[in-house]
Amino acid sequence: MSRTSPGAWILPYSCVVGQDDLKLALELNHVAPGIGGVLIAGQRGTAKSTIVRAFALMMHGELPVTLPINATDDRVVGGWQLDALMRGETREQPGLLEEAHDKGLLYVDEVNLLDDHVVNIILDVVSTGVLSVQREGLASAKQLAFGLVGTMNPEEGGLRPQLLDRFGLMVTAADLDTDARHRMIRTVLTFEEERTRGTSEWLAEAERHNGVVRDRLEAARERFPQVEVPDDILRLCAEAAGQLDAVGQRGEIVATQAARALAALDGVLRVQPRHLLQALPLALRHRRPEAAHGGTFDWGRDDHARIKDLFDAG
Amino acid sequence: MTTATPALEPSDDARRLECAFRCAALDPALAGVLLFDLEPRLIEPVSRVFAAVLGGPAGPPAARIPLGAATRDEELWCRSRLERRPDGIAFTVGPSPLVDGAAPPPLAVVADLASLSVAGMRAAVQLIGADLVSVEQPGLRIADRPRTRWLALCRSEDAGRVTPHLLDRFAVRLAVPGLRTVPDAGPTDAPLPHDTFATTTDRAVTRVHEILGPGAGPRRSLALARIARALATLGGHREVTAQHCEEAARLIGLRVTEPTPADDRADSEAPGPRLPPLPRPGDIGRRGGRPAKRRRSEEKLPLLASGPAEGVGPAPGATLGMPYPEDEAMALREFMPLRNPWQRRSGPTSTRGAVVGTRRARDLRDLALVRTVREAAVHQRIRGNREFTVAPVDLHSNLRAPAPERLLTLLLDHTCRGDWDWQDALTPFLQWAYTSRAAIHVVEVGGADAADELRAESFAARGVLDPRVLAALYRPKGRATPLAHGIEQAGQVLRQAFRRQGSALAEAWLVVVTDGRGNVPLRASHTGRLHGPVAVQGIEDSLTAAASFAAMDRGRLNVAVVDTARRPYGDLPFALADTLGATVVEGRDSHGG
Repeated sequence: MSRTSPGAWILPYSCVVGQDDLKLALELNHVAPGIGGVLIAGQRGTAKSTIVRAFALMMHGELPVTLPINATDDRVVGGWQLDALMRGETREQPGLLEEAHDKGLLYVDEVNLLDDHVVNIILDVVSTGVLSVQREGLASAKQLAFGLVGTMNPEEGGLRPQLLDRFGLMVTAADLDTDARHRMIRTVLTFEEERTRGTSEWLAEAERHNGVVRDRLEAARERFPQVEVPDDILRLCAEAAGQLDAVGQRGEIVATQAARALAALDGVLRVQPRHLLQALPLALRHRRPEAAHGGTFDWGRDDHARIKDLFDAG
Repeated sequence: MTTATPALEPSDDARRLECAFRCAALDPALAGVLLFDLEPRLIEPVSRVFAAVLGGPAGPPAARIPLGAATRDEELWCRSRLERRPDGIAFTVGPSPLVDGAAPPPLAVVADLASLSVAGMRAAVQLIGADLVSVEQPGLRIADRPRTRWLALCRSEDAGRVTPHLLDRFAVRLAVPGLRTVPDAGPTDAPLPHDTFATTTDRAVTRVHEILGPGAGPRRSLALARIARALATLGGHREVTAQHCEEAARLIGLRVTEPTPADDRADSEAPGPRLPPLPRPGDIGRRGGRPAKRRRSEEKLPLLASGPAEGVGPAPGATLGMPYPEDEAMALREFMPLRNPWQRRSGPTSTRGAVVGTRRARDLRDLALVRTVREAAVHQRIRGNREFTVAPVDLHSNLRAPAPERLLTLLLDHTCRGDWDWQDALTPFLQWAYTSRAAIHVVEVGGADAADELRAESFAARGVLDPRVLAALYRPKGRATPLAHGIEQAGQVLRQAFRRQGSALAEAWLVVVTDGRGNVPLRASHTGRLHGPVAVQGIEDSLTAAASFAAMDRGRLNVAVVDTARRPYGDLPFALADTLGATVVEGRDSHGG
């Protein structure tokens, strides 16, 4: 049995108040899918899931392929259609990973609450690029590639370093100041009130704003392949990663991609140091040794000071 | 103060409850109702009222779904049925009532939120007040807005043990320790309005912030604003005002502070949401000039009472019970409580814990028979067998919660503590108990609040996070020290554990914190009366009781005596340790540190 709500009640993306870093990370990941996904950490009620769903609705007109924490392993890797089996027929049912390959992205809500065996399956697939299923009469091996977007509340535990590293970018949801909080409540309530009306000019206007954002992102995505990364930017990136003791090299690659995407969003065809400076926290905050071993994901003034000199000198 | 909203009697908990239920029924974002300190006997009638509200005056009451410590994943999401048909066993899968789209929305009832199973807590986090829930189970895919309403009960003192991630989902919270009776009859009010919500004004949002203060999380602010909106809507008003916010605050027991001087903005003035300003919702209905006419207070539709309008609740400043007791709770909380428990791969208790689910079988031990038959039923037609057959791939075994394999028995002599903080000395043992998920048994002697100062007292707990353990560590001291009785009780506890759990008890520790100066003979503890002078009888009886430990299974039992370094008679703990066969652990140094 399958039931999907025809109209999900998700706040339009352009109406989400604040959380600019979260939005930026998702937008960069859309402009440059090679970034490989986004991990969003934040306290309760910071619109993490809302932003992800609203972004997917705005860009693709449908909700993202979602892996909930209640998913069983046969739904993750695929299996047989149950009702067809009961009729004596064999029909394969693609798993969520295969669907994510088709649509380019897998969204995992409460990713830190996933069962370990599901995490192992995801890690196997994203690291090898192959989903191998040998069970229940199924024998298949498929090439899969998709970006991972996850949301989590760090109060409920962290992620294994291997999984953490698979998220290209990471952002933490910020607390809103009083004014922003006021606007947030007003916007959410207005949205809930407007959607109960037959026709809503407010919602239509929000959709028009979404269209503007969508056009800007699609234009940047088209521009992205032409954006050049000068050699001194690459050197700067390597030095910054060294200063921050970043674990592995994936961080530098992702930071460069993110800087390119930023330049594409900026409408320029050459990455500048300011793009890299803005991209580094997103790409490296979860690749520092302390983050990999259960420490904080915060990016503070000290972290900024460690790399600021490099950019000032440049 | 007069009100244009339903007249509430906050002292009347039954009416507050019913009003809260109507708010929750009206707005799916208020789906979670959490009641603190409700008398257990009232769970059934209270949930019946909520179900009746959900069903509406004309319809049947909503179905109630009890959830508790034994709730498992399989029953939360899917409902599977096995039927015998002429051509064999048929098997169907459908959504469980929790995620079924049928009307009226069902009511999940959690009698004790603090003891809800991990599967239940995870479901609650995914469902309560969510925009969308995704279900991915065999034969079942759902992506829909959850409609189930939740009624959960919790004791205020237990609130600190529940993860804030879960508590935060409950938008409507009421402390109702004074509730004694619940009306039998269901509500007879008019049906809930389903067309549109009242419009929230800017001033109302400001009032929400004033009431909650700057530290409130976004969910609490939204919850209060939504309750205010629900009250306004139920009262037939078109706009939510600051007064509705105050009423909402009083409904859930929040202190209502005096408002700051009103600014010049009109109630309905609203800044548009970010990026370039969008039309204000209030503008849409007023296009072309005059603002919509406000309903006058005389036109109000009372929700709960038909009497004359009266002030909402008690005088400003009064509270009805804190709706957020977790903010002040001191209880220890389980680490990562929303993660499924780790399943031990081996060990004697892997087949002894409570069943929390099923998994594919790795061997033939502890098979989950119904799940196995269900799996087999699915494949019967494909296999083409003439008789019902179970293949190895169908086999499933039970997934069980870890059962305690370890036991920590603490014997605390409160009379030896004085100003010494013995927690440092005990921390290694408590850490061991926590990391190994050991059960704990605390035996106390010499506490000031003991029911009988001549006797030891004891209690058993599932783990060190039980709030009673922390309380026991800081009990004030009394006069008598029935140490012999305490040692005797500790021995009984350990003997019972080894006898009942058998080989399942892999390891046990007895940790004794005492200066050894027992001053109550064992006979006095047994009879409850002192006979003549005590002299050294209390000490000798302690050593006699300790001698019985030599006969226990010392391969699995470890004993430690924490030296309190009290003078004189500083050698008494060592003598006791010798008799117990214990190691001596340095507690307080000889300087009293």
